[in-house]
Amino acid sequence: MTPLAPVASSGLAALHAAAAAAGLMVSSSASWPETGADGEVTALAGFVESNFSPLLAEVAGRALRRRDQSQASGQVTAVVMVTALGDVTSATRVAAAVDSGKRVFPLMFFQSVPNAVAGYLAARWHLTGPVVCVSGTSAGLDVAALLIDDADADEALVVRVDLAVTGGDGDRAAAILVTGPANRERLSTA
Amino acid sequence: MDSTPAARRGTGTVVVTGTAVLSAYGRGTEALLTGILSGLPAFAPVQRFDVTARRVGVAATMPGSPELRTEMTRAVREACDDACLSPSDRARTPLFLAIHGDPAIARAPEADKPGLGPQAFTTAVAGGCGLAEQGIRCYMSACVAASTAIADAAAMIARGHADRVVVAGGYLVDCDQFALFDAGRVLADDGQVRPFSAGRRGLLLGDGAGAVVIESRESARARRAPPLARIAGWGRTGDAYHPCQPHPEGHGMARAVTAALQRAGIAAEDLGYINAHGSGTGQSDPAETSALRLALGDAAGTVPVSSTKSLHGQTLEASGVLELIVTLLAARKGMLPINAGFLGADDRCCLNLVLAEALAATPEFAMSLNAAFGGANTALVIGLP
Repeated sequence: MTPLAPVASSGLAALHAAAAAAGLMVSSSASWPETGADGEVTALAGFVESNFSPLLAEVAGRALRRRDQSQASGQVTAVVMVTALGDVTSATRVAAAVDSGKRVFPLMFFQSVPNAVAGYLAARWHLTGPVVCVSGTSAGLDVAALLIDDADADEALVVRVDLAVTGGDGDRAAAILVTGPANRERLSTA
Repeated sequence: MDSTPAARRGTGTVVVTGTAVLSAYGRGTEALLTGILSGLPAFAPVQRFDVTARRVGVAATMPGSPELRTEMTRAVREACDDACLSPSDRARTPLFLAIHGDPAIARAPEADKPGLGPQAFTTAVAGGCGLAEQGIRCYMSACVAASTAIADAAAMIARGHADRVVVAGGYLVDCDQFALFDAGRVLADDGQVRPFSAGRRGLLLGDGAGAVVIESRESARARRAPPLARIAGWGRTGDAYHPCQPHPEGHGMARAVTAALQRAGIAAEDLGYINAHGSGTGQSDPAETSALRLALGDAAGTVPVSSTKSLHGQTLEASGVLELIVTLLAARKGMLPINAGFLGADDRCCLNLVLAEALAATPEFAMSLNAAFGGANTALVIGLP
C-alpha cells in the first residue's frame, strides 16, 4: 500500500481535531484519496454524472468496514454530512440543462440533495439515527456530539466531501465514526 | 420498529420570542394566518420562469422574483425585531440557516464557485442582521433542514450550551428545482395538493422564508420578552430504508414522534393538533399515517390533523420553520387550518383530518412533522405558555 496522500490526511486530520474538540472518541476513519490506487471512484448505482455521492459512499463504507464489528450491533448511528459547496457538479449540470432547454435526467432529481446518498448508506449499513447535512467540520462534530448527548444516537458517522471545482486539487473526502466516552466505556465492558 | 433508548434533554425551558415569515400568501405572519385560515390554496400557474417544457406548471409563489439573500435577511431582521432584541443582544446571537445553497453557484464561473458556498451565504445574512460572527451554521438536509436546526437549537439551549439562537430557513421557487421535481414526476398534475386523500397526485412547490428567535426562558425573562410558545419537545431519526422513499410502516417517523413526546413530558392524548408532513404523494402519506398509529396508538384517530402543504405548498428547506410558525399561529389563534384538496377517504390514511372549514380549538400542545429524502424525520412539539 502506498503512503497516505498529504491532501487526504489534512481533511481527516481536521475531522479528528474537531472530534477531539467536541469531546468525541474516534472508532474508525477513512479518506479519499488514501493510497495511490485511489484513482477513479467506484460508481454507485442510481447516482450519475457527479462524484459527490459515490465518494461519500466510498469513504463512509471504508470507515464502517474498519470498525470493530463486534461493537456494531444495536448501535443507533447518525449520518452527519459536511460539505463546503454541496454537490456543485450536479447543480451546475442541471442549470446547464435547464438553460439550454434540454431534458433533465430523472435520476438527477433523486440526487439533488445530499440526503439521498445518506439514505443509501443508512439502508446499506442499517444506520437508524438522524440524517443531517451542514456546511462546516466543527458544526458537523458539534451536531454529532449533541445527538449523542441527547440519546438520538449512540454514535455518528461524520463524512466530509469536497468536490474539485476549479481543476486544481482533485475530489477529496474523509469519514470518521465517533462516539461519546460513556458509550465507549459501555461497549468496552460489554 | 427498532428500539431506541429513551430520549434525553437538558433541563432548561426553551421558548420562542420572535417570528417572521414570507409565503405565497404574502409577507408577514398576518398574511400567512389569514391565507391559511381562508382554506384557499395559494397555487397558481408559474409566471416566474418558463414552464412550457414541464409536465406541470403550477406552484405557490409570491409575485415577481424575490431574491433569497434579501428575503432571508429581511426575515431574520423582522424576527429579531419581533423579539425586541437590542443590537447587543443580536451581536451575541448565532444564526442557524437552512437553505439548499447559494442560488448563484450553479451558474457562476468556475473560479467564483468556491466563494459561493452555503457558509459564506449564511455569514452574509448574519452580518446583514448584526448577528454574531461565531457559531454560524448552515443546514442543507433537504426538507428537514430547518426543523433539524430548530431541534438542535432547542437542544443546545435546554443544555445551557447557548442562551439564544435565531433559526431561519428559505426556499423560493426556482427553475432548477422545479425542473428536477418535474423530471422526478412528483408534481401534482391536477394542480392541487391532496394530502391523505384518495386521488392524490403529488406535491407542488411553494415559496417560503421564515425565521424564529429561540431562547432560554431565563434569557427571555431578563429582557421581559413574552414567550409566544415553548419548544417543548423534539425528535430526529432515520429510517435506514431507502435513498428517497420513506419506510412504508413509518418506523423512523414513529421514533421521532415518540422522542418528541418524551422530551415534552406529555402523553399522546395531550396533543391537540398535528401539522403533518403530508406531502400528498402516494407512498409518504400512508407511511406517515402508520407512524402516527405506531407512536400515538388510539390517539392517532382522534387528534386533529392537517397538512398545510395543501395550502402553501412544499417549501423544501424552509418547511420546518414555516410549518412550525403556521402551527404556532394557528394554536395561538385557536383555529386549526384545514387539510385542503380532500376528495375522499383513503383506507391507508385514516386520521382525524380537519376538513371543510377551520376547526375552533385551543391546543395546549401541538406537533409539526417533517420528513425528507434519506429517510430523515423530525418531530417538533410546541406548548402554549
